[in-house]
Amino acid sequence: MKLNKKNILMFLAVLGPGIITANVDNDAGGITTYSVAGAQFGYSLLWTLIPITVALVVVQEMVARMGIVTGKTLADLIREQFGAKITFYLMISLLIADLGNTVAEFAGWAASMELFGVNKYIAVPIGSFLVWWLVVKGTYRVVEKIFLFSCTIFITYIISAFMAAPPWAQVLTETVKPTFDIKPSYLMMLIGVVGTTIAPWMQFYLQSAVVEKNLKVEDYKASRWDVIVGCLMTDVVAFFIIVACGATLFAHGIKINDAADAAKALEPLAGKYASVLFAIGLANASLFAASILPLATAYYVCEGMGWESGIDHDFKSAPQFMWLYTGLIAIGALIILIPNAPLIAIMLISQVVNGVMLPFVLIFMLLLINNKDLMGEYINTKTFNRIAWTTVIVMVVLTLALVGTSVV
Amino acid sequence: MQRTTELYISSVLDRKIINPKGQVIGKLWDVAIAPGDALPIVTGLLLKQGNRVYTVPWQRVLLFNPLVVSVAGTTTDYPVYEATSASILLRRDVLDKQIVDVNGAKVVRVNDVKLTPYKDLLCIFSVDIGFRGLLRRIGYERLWSLVQKDISQSEIGWQFVNPLEINAAALTLSMAREQMAEMHPADIAEIIANIPRDSVQSVLNSLDHETAGEAIHELEPELRTRVISLMDSEHASGILEEMPPDEAADVLGDLPEEKAQELLRLMDKEDAEEIQELMEHEEDTAGGLMNHEFVAISSDTTVGRALDEIKRQAEEIETIYYAYVLDVEERLVGIVSLRELLIGNPELPVSEIMIEQLKTVDVETEPEDILALLAKYNLIAVPVLDEEGKMAGVVTIDDVVELFLPYALKRRRHHS
Repeated sequence: MKLNKKNILMFLAVLGPGIITANVDNDAGGITTYSVAGAQFGYSLLWTLIPITVALVVVQEMVARMGIVTGKTLADLIREQFGAKITFYLMISLLIADLGNTVAEFAGWAASMELFGVNKYIAVPIGSFLVWWLVVKGTYRVVEKIFLFSCTIFITYIISAFMAAPPWAQVLTETVKPTFDIKPSYLMMLIGVVGTTIAPWMQFYLQSAVVEKNLKVEDYKASRWDVIVGCLMTDVVAFFIIVACGATLFAHGIKINDAADAAKALEPLAGKYASVLFAIGLANASLFAASILPLATAYYVCEGMGWESGIDHDFKSAPQFMWLYTGLIAIGALIILIPNAPLIAIMLISQVVNGVMLPFVLIFMLLLINNKDLMGEYINTKTFNRIAWTTVIVMVVLTLALVGTSVV
Repeated sequence: MQRTTELYISSVLDRKIINPKGQVIGKLWDVAIAPGDALPIVTGLLLKQGNRVYTVPWQRVLLFNPLVVSVAGTTTDYPVYEATSASILLRRDVLDKQIVDVNGAKVVRVNDVKLTPYKDLLCIFSVDIGFRGLLRRIGYERLWSLVQKDISQSEIGWQFVNPLEINAAALTLSMAREQMAEMHPADIAEIIANIPRDSVQSVLNSLDHETAGEAIHELEPELRTRVISLMDSEHASGILEEMPPDEAADVLGDLPEEKAQELLRLMDKEDAEEIQELMEHEEDTAGGLMNHEFVAISSDTTVGRALDEIKRQAEEIETIYYAYVLDVEERLVGIVSLRELLIGNPELPVSEIMIEQLKTVDVETEPEDILALLAKYNLIAVPVLDEEGKMAGVVTIDDVVELFLPYALKRRRHHS
């Protein structure tokens, strides 16, 4: 067999939506949140990754199942079952949350470019134009493979974590032994970690990807594995980022104030090249997500509202779609250009907003997936319902606790 | 008494329902509809009280307008609603759902539904797919009109609506069905690419085999395979039979071997053999791209007879711009274009006007070379010769150009 372009593309085509989603999940907001979590709280948040992984698998499996059984996207289903009014308010909230996420992606891009000594006033306009152009000009699908391949760079965190020689006994204990704190900073971190791992927009993205692949009920088992493998990939990377940051930054009491601090977590592996390695990884993750996120948002908002959508349209034939897409990128980039914009804080807070939004989206998903008319025999099992509802309740309680403790 | 006026369904849904005594007996849950003489008609209201839903037949509705909805009696007078497969409900099956606007040839979402009184009945008159309808539903119509005086409005008459929900399919009027069949296959393909998988069946069912075949061929290969495997085999083979053999071979070539064989078995034997032969060639060579069907004539035929021959065969054949002059051993000796036949003297034998300097390719020729040849000599089709020099088929320019379309253009064509 020749190793030509066609063969390579064929191989990459079998990568399922679940695995692609998992890689987009570790975006700028994700890497930053995990890094700060490790730097600020050491290994003490590691235990949350186990319930988070369970919840992530359950939630992602639910959306994949909904996509396969109904053949409709999440936005379609919400509009058709809950009507225009509810859809409108949900879409507005998600739009705001996603604008925050887009800002975070450009913050990641700006931060990584600063490590290379490139000024953000140069890097951000170029980056945002690049993203816009990639998608509008239709070369995105080709570039996606490069993005996906570059995601393997996060394996360096695994190596770096081992080379930092953390106290493994303590790491493992903290992974299985829950600890809790009522400090606002801890609560915020916790919501952020959940929000970045189970980001609401990812659920819309995953279901659309499943629908676009035209998967049928017969494909359900394979798709399930795709989702599970994807979720595990996300959380294994998250685990090692936290461990690496805990062993290098937390152990020496270094707080993450900018990307250069976060890059130190890779020093055990890369030494003085740590910042280069980190910068490449962060730049790739940021651009990857920045290409997908505004696009996915524009798609699902338009689907929900019943507006023409698709990148083969222009400003005339699909004005709402093109303006949403362009606007998200433009505003996202402009916010980063504000002098002295706190990049790390922006990335962190956007993920907290994700966490706050999550229960609302989950409630809609739960109502949909338990609707017999839609799902037939594929409605949720009791266990799945329990886990999902627990996630909803936990997130609502955490949010209320955060608000409560911050005010007091 | 005038029971009702023209109204939007959004203005009455969830409204309190009262009886003549002014007591609130529930709220309007949904509206039951059925196919009518011309337009679909309202047959009753679904009234919700607590957790129970009752059916109120249209005859018992006293007033039905945005200000007041009133029905006779109390809930005890009405049967509890039971969902049956035959019932069609406006909110459940039409509102917020996707429909095909057959006039505009695209898939749109229903923002609102306009009902119009006709004699003693209430008919579904049109669906609102515009911004004004959306604002009305969200409750910001008045607020927005402060900013923008003439909010863009877009309504489609029900006769141009083809609902995609299975329940509502019965409401499709014959006019919409006809329009659907008259759409350009590329438009239908775009619609198919944009609707949920379960609705694809209902769209294809409303088309004749030939149109359905053309639309399927326009689909992206991946989606095409999915669509075919969703259909029952009888239907699929029927459609494939009506497709030009090279296109059918394309489609079958992408299917799993087993499925392709099954479909071939169901097809007319002659068609199946021809397609199978085409499938044996490498996909990206002249053999894989060619079509077996072409107009063949002998050299002593007159121009007039040749024209008659084209006319006779035109229905079965995709490319009629050239007639191929073959000798007794099926070897190609000349080509004569339709244009030359049209302007030539009908009495002349074609051998007098045919071109003998032939531009041909063989079954193994690569697409690049075919395109170069077509472009260089400005041809619409080029004959393909087999190993023995016999004429095997023709490759038309559309099949070759498709392979070379830039990525972005191809996507625009298929509408990702």
